[in-house]
Amino acid sequence: MRHYIKSALSTGMLATGVLAAGVLVAGSMVMSASADTIKIGFNVPLTGFAAADGQSALHGAELGVGQVNAAGGINGEMLELVVYDDQASPKEAAPLAVKMITQDEIVAGVSGSYSGATRAAATIFAESKVPYISAYAIHPDITRAGDYVFRTSFMGEVQGRAGAKLIGEMLGKKRVAMVTLNNDFGKSLATGFKEQAGNFGIEIVAEYEYSIKDREFGPIISKIKADKPDAIYASGYFFTAGPMVSQIRAAGLDQPVVGQEGYDSQKFIEIAGGASEGVLITTSLDRDSSAAETKDFIKGFAAKAGYPADMVAASAHTAILVLADALKKSGSGDKAALRDAVAKTDLTASTGHISFNALGEVQKDVQVQIVKNGNWHHHSVISDAVLLAPPAQ
Amino acid sequence: MLLIDLCIQGLIQGAIYALIALGLTLVYGLLRILHVAHAALFTLGGYVGVVVTNGSGSFLLALLTAMLIVGFVGMASYRVIYKPLLMRPPLIALIASIGVFIASEELFRLVFGAYGLSYTNPPLKGQVEILPGISLSHARILVVVLAVGLLSGMGWLAVHTRIGIAARATVVDPAMAASSGVNVETIRYASFFIGSAFAGAAGVMVSLLNNLVEPTMGAVPSYKALAIIVLGGLGSVRGALVASLALGVIEAFGTIYVGHILDRDSIAFAFLIMILMVRPQGLLARG
Repeated sequence: MRHYIKSALSTGMLATGVLAAGVLVAGSMVMSASADTIKIGFNVPLTGFAAADGQSALHGAELGVGQVNAAGGINGEMLELVVYDDQASPKEAAPLAVKMITQDEIVAGVSGSYSGATRAAATIFAESKVPYISAYAIHPDITRAGDYVFRTSFMGEVQGRAGAKLIGEMLGKKRVAMVTLNNDFGKSLATGFKEQAGNFGIEIVAEYEYSIKDREFGPIISKIKADKPDAIYASGYFFTAGPMVSQIRAAGLDQPVVGQEGYDSQKFIEIAGGASEGVLITTSLDRDSSAAETKDFIKGFAAKAGYPADMVAASAHTAILVLADALKKSGSGDKAALRDAVAKTDLTASTGHISFNALGEVQKDVQVQIVKNGNWHHHSVISDAVLLAPPAQ
Repeated sequence: MLLIDLCIQGLIQGAIYALIALGLTLVYGLLRILHVAHAALFTLGGYVGVVVTNGSGSFLLALLTAMLIVGFVGMASYRVIYKPLLMRPPLIALIASIGVFIASEELFRLVFGAYGLSYTNPPLKGQVEILPGISLSHARILVVVLAVGLLSGMGWLAVHTRIGIAARATVVDPAMAASSGVNVETIRYASFFIGSAFAGAAGVMVSLLNNLVEPTMGAVPSYKALAIIVLGGLGSVRGALVASLALGVIEAFGTIYVGHILDRDSIAFAFLIMILMVRPQGLLARG
């Protein structure tokens, strides 16, 4: 029950607050009341440990839906986001996927969630032949769930390879200590990094693992101090990386710290404070982009959410726009036609130019951002199609 | 040098564990209840610390306020949650406690936001070189000073004051203590106040070390503190302290040398299982 109330609360945040009340009173009312909208399912963690990312992703997705509707919708029909809180948990996401597909009759789904939940839902979407886009979950098996599953952000391995190029070639640092988050995100980044490290002349002097619950890195930092590396490649999310970077600098280590899109939030800078200056990350969102799509998004997001845009928001926004574009092109409510239209995507969105390979993996450039004067800024772009090629099967 | 550094890092972590575990041990000793919601009080301490520091600019004021507020909330938790359930089996109180803990995480999220809070201008950032090549931030040193000060103050209280002696008597035999004129209720409220205030202090210090308080900050302490009091011998204050420090050091070394196989929690629980196989009653169990 708690769960349904929460789902209803999150739905209530949408413009469709009235309908949300309907969900509580009688589920069947929703169908008849909103038969003329096109529904997109959106599973996102709004409670639990990933709630912060979930909130940003939801803002990003709502912004996308708002923009599409303001521009006349899909051939006159309005988009409607059907939002459920999956708590970033597979056991929540799987039944929610079933509910979205069978009861809510969505035409397609977007995951604004982490890998575990996204994988569980992706299998169900693939079996039901309903298109599903993972906005920022990175696990390689997500798109392998089937033909109907796509991903608009980088796989962990791809970003790990970009990290190796950034450190070994662009920064010219050769002795690297790795600090790896021991979940699918950190592990797949580490795999990509190690795979390419040798090609860029990098020697990995040590690798330490930590769990997503850790905020205290004293022992690891003491050991890194003794290792004396030239650079530190550390995977994590803003809530682990913030404390980590601030503790690294507090311990007197001044080597460059290179992270990835998990850091990509203003909150990282807020937590690490002055220690965040000079931290580099590989990500999808370029804060200083001159592209109209990206500038629009950054401005619109800040106005809507009240805080600066981040990677998860941009990714969710991108996923919605990809779907909207495919809906326009496919024209009908036919899910197979919609799937084919998504596969042929050729669109510039807030996270750059989006197209998919045969597996449904996105092909785009990696943005390198740096913290300067308390904000994320453009550092460089890695556009090496061979290095960044995602697996095609 | 690395070994000494790791020991120091471990002892700092252990000092935090000790501050948290103390309240849990006191409550278990008095009521035979596993007070999982204690970890929510730890989180509350962190939030009060950040909010008051950011608002007033005084970290000292924040620390004292946090201890006071969390202490009173701890007393209220006894009054509201445990007291009405004392006549029921301890399992009921445990379930209520877990429920309160989960609800509090979501309450923190609703009140303070999902992103957590940070110090706008983190205090105590200066460094001191305590040994050649090993320097610690003032914040880390304060953790140790605070833990030693508070815990030895409590130890002195337990041995040298009437209320301390009465508290120990109540732990050993509540009925006999009551018939000797000890007000058992006062002892319970006082224990909840002290235990919670210490957890509040730990929350403030952790929030400073991480420069982050999140709604889920209590998740790890909620179960690890249980492991610590089991390790120490349930209800034994001294045992809990020894177990806290031992666990801190074991985790520090474990993270570096077996971290690629076991994460920090697994190391802690593997250690717990090993000790319990040899000493099922815990490190320093009361007879």
